Amino acid sequence: MIPISYYLLLSAILFSIGVFGTMIKRNMVTIFMCIELMLNAVNLSFVAFARYHSLIDGQVFVFFVMAVAAAEAAVGLGIIVALFRNRQTLNVDEADLMKW
Amino acid sequence: MELAIFLILSMIGIASALNILIQRHPIYSALSLILTFLSLAGIYIQMQAEFIAVMQVVIYTGAIMVLFVFVIMLLNVKAEERVPNKLIGMRYVGIPLSLLLVTALGLNIFQSFSGQTLRVSDVSTSGLTGNTQSIGKLLYTQYTLPFEVTSILLLVGIVGAIIMAKKEL
Amino acid sequence: MLMDNLQSLRYFYPELTLIVAMLVVVIVDISFNRLRNVLNPLLTIAALLIAAYFTAYVNHGQEANLFLGMLALDSFAQFFKLFLLLAALLVVLGSLHSEELLQVHQGEFFALLLAVTLGMLLMANSINLAILYLSLELVSLTSYIMVGYLKGDRLSNEASLKYILFGAISTGSMLYGFSLIYGMTGSLNLYTIRDAFLSQGVQGFDQFTILLALVLTLAGFGFKTAAVPFHFWCPDVYAGAPTPVTAFLSVAPKAAGFAILVRFLFSGMTQTSGSEWGLVNGINWPLVLIGISVLTMTLGNIAALTQNNLKRMLAYSSIAHAGYILMGSVVLTGEGLKSMLIYMFVYLFMNLGAFLVVTIIYNSDRSFEIGDYHGMFKRAPFLTFAMGVFMLSLTGIPPFAGFLGKLYVFLAVIEKGLFWFAVVGTLNAAVAAFYYMRVIKAMVLEEGNGKTAPLHVSFLNQALLVALLIPNLILVVFWNPIERWTASSVKLFSGL
Repeated sequence: MIPISYYLLLSAILFSIGVFGTMIKRNMVTIFMCIELMLNAVNLSFVAFARYHSLIDGQVFVFFVMAVAAAEAAVGLGIIVALFRNRQTLNVDEADLMKW
Repeated sequence: MELAIFLILSMIGIASALNILIQRHPIYSALSLILTFLSLAGIYIQMQAEFIAVMQVVIYTGAIMVLFVFVIMLLNVKAEERVPNKLIGMRYVGIPLSLLLVTALGLNIFQSFSGQTLRVSDVSTSGLTGNTQSIGKLLYTQYTLPFEVTSILLLVGIVGAIIMAKKEL
Repeated sequence: MLMDNLQSLRYFYPELTLIVAMLVVVIVDISFNRLRNVLNPLLTIAALLIAAYFTAYVNHGQEANLFLGMLALDSFAQFFKLFLLLAALLVVLGSLHSEELLQVHQGEFFALLLAVTLGMLLMANSINLAILYLSLELVSLTSYIMVGYLKGDRLSNEASLKYILFGAISTGSMLYGFSLIYGMTGSLNLYTIRDAFLSQGVQGFDQFTILLALVLTLAGFGFKTAAVPFHFWCPDVYAGAPTPVTAFLSVAPKAAGFAILVRFLFSGMTQTSGSEWGLVNGINWPLVLIGISVLTMTLGNIAALTQNNLKRMLAYSSIAHAGYILMGSVVLTGEGLKSMLIYMFVYLFMNLGAFLVVTIIYNSDRSFEIGDYHGMFKRAPFLTFAMGVFMLSLTGIPPFAGFLGKLYVFLAVIEKGLFWFAVVGTLNAAVAAFYYMRVIKAMVLEEGNGKTAPLHVSFLNQALLVALLIPNLILVVFWNPIERWTASSVKLFSGL
């Protein structure tokens, strides 16, 4: 059997890549992709833990995460389309009408 | 053998995840993300989470990523420009920060759980056979309320996407 | 008592009312073109009132775990449900005559408001990580849409984009925290998680992993309550959103965020032997929370000093108020929790009042700049008086309700021997006085900018102003019922 720590390490690496991506990418659509990657890393660790505890709850949780991710992607891309209509750009740096 | 398959799948997953960051055009990023999702689906099958594996392919690659690709095409997105952006400093903060995150998350959890393998015993509860069946049972007993809340959430998602994307309502 | 799904439905009437009303509003909006602008607000108000009635009377005095351990039915949840329904009701009334929202189609606004209220009700009494996550997402997702509701407006678009980006990232890290907690304890139920933490369940795990899980989880809750390291989204989102939505966001989801924070910390993570913090791991949690609280209020207040846009100023001030509310959570006693609830209760009236004044002035002047408020006293004396009361109440000056909230929070802290913490709070209140007074000064003392026509305030808005003024003026005298109500609401936790 493969030790659970391998799955968790993979999940941690994917999560970190996702977080890193949200920081360095400038394209809104790509940033959303990085967020999806973060959610996938979470899913992986949930499934691994579910397997580890011989429970099925974790997999049910993953099911919910997927449903929410779908809804969130739909709304997020809707917001991007609305923003694109007004600004003609997808660069987050140009979304700076407001200053901190 | 099992380990070899896992290693190959996870290498593909990590490499294509990194490729999302390297690519400048969102469509290439989207395609590499799909590859990551598929390799994760393979890992789920290996963990005997067949239902999740199928959902991974159907929902993530089939629905969500199609939506992404569709939006990229619709908006005719250009590649990111190479000019140094205002937040270039983020890169110098971001790299050490993510490395720190990997070490903190990865190594610690790795150590915490090292030596413990996934149990061989069958996951199914209460004598049900098969992964899908037991998830279905759980969804309609203990997790009925979250399941119904999910449906409201999806309704809100539909309404929201229409409000946001439609020009004039 | 653990109830199964069918038994639980009897105690689920408030939420069911909201769900039905939400669907009806969506259908009415499509089918009745002419009547919808009248029917939808009426339906929404009726649904909120019916839900409040069910919460207050039908569910009274019961304690149970509903839906096989998904939701808790207790007086703590009841307090929050009534609070959130009241907030939603006031916001619906305040949004009816808002020019910002009248420009766009309104039907879905009410459906979304009902959805977000439903999400917050579920959030306030969830005791399972699955329903906690879903209700939090329901609230967040709906808020993203409501913030971007003025889709022709660039500020609104941008605010909504920033909100969804920060929101999705922080929920992602919260989920990672959940997965670690699940991995260590093997359960999604908060009570089972606590039992596992307290017993041998997590012996084998590194303290650092537990810390990591908690920090990641708290990032998600911190985002909802806009506590300091996770407050970046707050000023931009509040400034860009339609004013009634800003008013709503600054009160209701924040309160719901505190509700889950308290539930998570108290029923999921702590053992209260006597009134001591016996949090499962060796970290000095009170100190961490004190740090967050001090940072939150100081940063909020100092940033608010330099703002010229009243909406942004109120955004920073709401960050500062989150800091005061957090003060109550540091003391792990019934007193501390009670002070949090009292603070939130008075904060509801003063903050919604301030935002209502901002909405009314925007309706005729189209500006949020403090500079355009000059000479308002001559144009609208009553409005200026109301704003004065709200500002003084937010500062915490004695005859007004805001004083009551600060008094209770500071007393709870002092009782615990944390004098310096109360001193920091008082100093912060003094700093806050500067910018609140600035608004009053601009409205009363400064010369007008040429406009002399009296400001039009619709009858509904006048009535609402009076309704919000009354609690601000009389709560200090009639504090007793509030005290008894909140004290009975936290009984569950203080006796834990």
